[in-house]
Amino acid sequence: MISTAGLTKHYGEVQAVDGLDLHVRRGEIYAFLGRNGAGKTTTIRMLLGLVRPTSGRVTVLGTDIAPGATAVFSRVGYLVEAAAAYPDLTVRENLDLQRRLTGAGREAVGEAMDLLGLSGSADRRAGQLSLGNKQRLSLARALLHRPDLLILDEPANGLDPAGIIEVRRLLRRLVDESGVTVFMSSHILAEVAHLADRIGIVHEGRLLQELDFDELRARTRAYLDIGVSEPDRAAGLLREQLGLDLIERRPEGGLRVFDGSDRGPEIARALISAGLDLTRLVPVQEDLESYFIRMTGGES
Amino acid sequence: MLGQVIATEFLKLRRAKITWLTALGIAIGPLFGGLFMWILQEPGRAERLGLIGQKAQFLGQAADWPTYFALLAQMTGIVSVVLFSLVTAYVFGREYSDGTAKNMLALPVTRAWFPVAKLLVVLVWCGLLTVVIITVGFLVGAALKLPGFSVTLAAASVGEILLVALLGYLLMPVVAWIAALGRGYLAPLGFALLTLLLGMGLGATGWGKWFPWSIVPLFAGIAGPRTETLASGSLVVLALTCAAGVAATIWLFTYADNNQ
Repeated sequence: MISTAGLTKHYGEVQAVDGLDLHVRRGEIYAFLGRNGAGKTTTIRMLLGLVRPTSGRVTVLGTDIAPGATAVFSRVGYLVEAAAAYPDLTVRENLDLQRRLTGAGREAVGEAMDLLGLSGSADRRAGQLSLGNKQRLSLARALLHRPDLLILDEPANGLDPAGIIEVRRLLRRLVDESGVTVFMSSHILAEVAHLADRIGIVHEGRLLQELDFDELRARTRAYLDIGVSEPDRAAGLLREQLGLDLIERRPEGGLRVFDGSDRGPEIARALISAGLDLTRLVPVQEDLESYFIRMTGGES
Repeated sequence: MLGQVIATEFLKLRRAKITWLTALGIAIGPLFGGLFMWILQEPGRAERLGLIGQKAQFLGQAADWPTYFALLAQMTGIVSVVLFSLVTAYVFGREYSDGTAKNMLALPVTRAWFPVAKLLVVLVWCGLLTVVIITVGFLVGAALKLPGFSVTLAAASVGEILLVALLGYLLMPVVAWIAALGRGYLAPLGFALLTLLLGMGLGATGWGKWFPWSIVPLFAGIAGPRTETLASGSLVVLALTCAAGVAATIWLFTYADNNQ
């Protein structure tokens, strides 16, 4: 549905996107994850032809995206960055503009409002909507013409927790029932953890990993978080006596032991026998968020 | 599809306060013209009113329809630079100020239709504003019971006002380009003021007939002695300016990066 080859965008000296190779399959929800400034929005703009790549290629639904490509967009719905609408026009009128420009039927406006829970605000001016409802209006705009592919940049922006769950369900339903493919960006892994089928992690314009969500879960680490007096001596002791190797000295004091997460009692005995004060020994399963932060070069 | 794009561009103006504000703004021109006529009708009033009276006496020799029509043409010359630019800045700049430009660029619609449709909207809007000048002008002139009216004079004067407005409109594609390039209202409005000043200044020199923003004021009689007929060179300059503006705006919509 989407593929990119060596997709690159420079702004002068700044390398916003660097040699990105993406592959999004039909009927999946692909979460494009990265911290703020990682290159997510620039990538999405290139997928939509809003920004021309410095080099590389974008193919969407079998069409090479270039300035002249228009027909393909009858099958693509999108939302880029901040939600935007004509403030003097009502919700219904804003959607009617989109309907006319995408060639959708008259009934599409009502259906899109129903889907996003906007029917009660149909005659309110867009300028008077809350941030959350503006986001809903933008999502309704993206869905209005029943596209085969949805490209959504941070779709949960501005939505309250209930709204996020609602949109999550809606996207899942569109994928399961209508075979829609969703490419969505996010900077919060937890936001897509219950939704995505596959994940691409982008950092400083480069794709670090592209993997199935189950695979991602398997890659998260388990470790023992240990609070102990004399951590350096304790680390040496665990290496010598128990043959543990993957020990990380924490800056705030204490240790993390990655290759002995199932050897808690043994470790406790060894440390206490050596006369060390053991203040904490907690088995930890790294969550996805920590994994994501670790992958993108942050502190886990 | 161009028809749908044009329809949506008109729909975007629904409830926009600026449509009424520009209509009110433009009505001030003929009303001021009427004020000058009213003062000129009684020179004693002009003296009592000080500077306004002196300016009014300077502008027109007599309080009659020929003088008033000439004033209306002059007003149109200024208005076509200032208010038409405001209209163009709004129609193009709002897409960037409201953040909606990005919503237009990945649709099953040729991107060039958007600037074309917008320029058409600007043409119709500016045409209606010119109709307001003419209509208010006739009402004010009739209310003041100005002498010297004839159908021939009225037809010629209306034709002249429409021509001044049309020539002013030819400069708008460049304003549209500036709005798209500057991504908002400020740049085109600043550009309009700058060109108004430059146009008036250069109009007083021999270069006026070659500088696009002097040609309209010269023809309208507000930058030096009035040019009764347009030199063919001036027409070519205006046509080229218009064509370059249209081409540059279409190019921007089609090829420029949108990082909004």
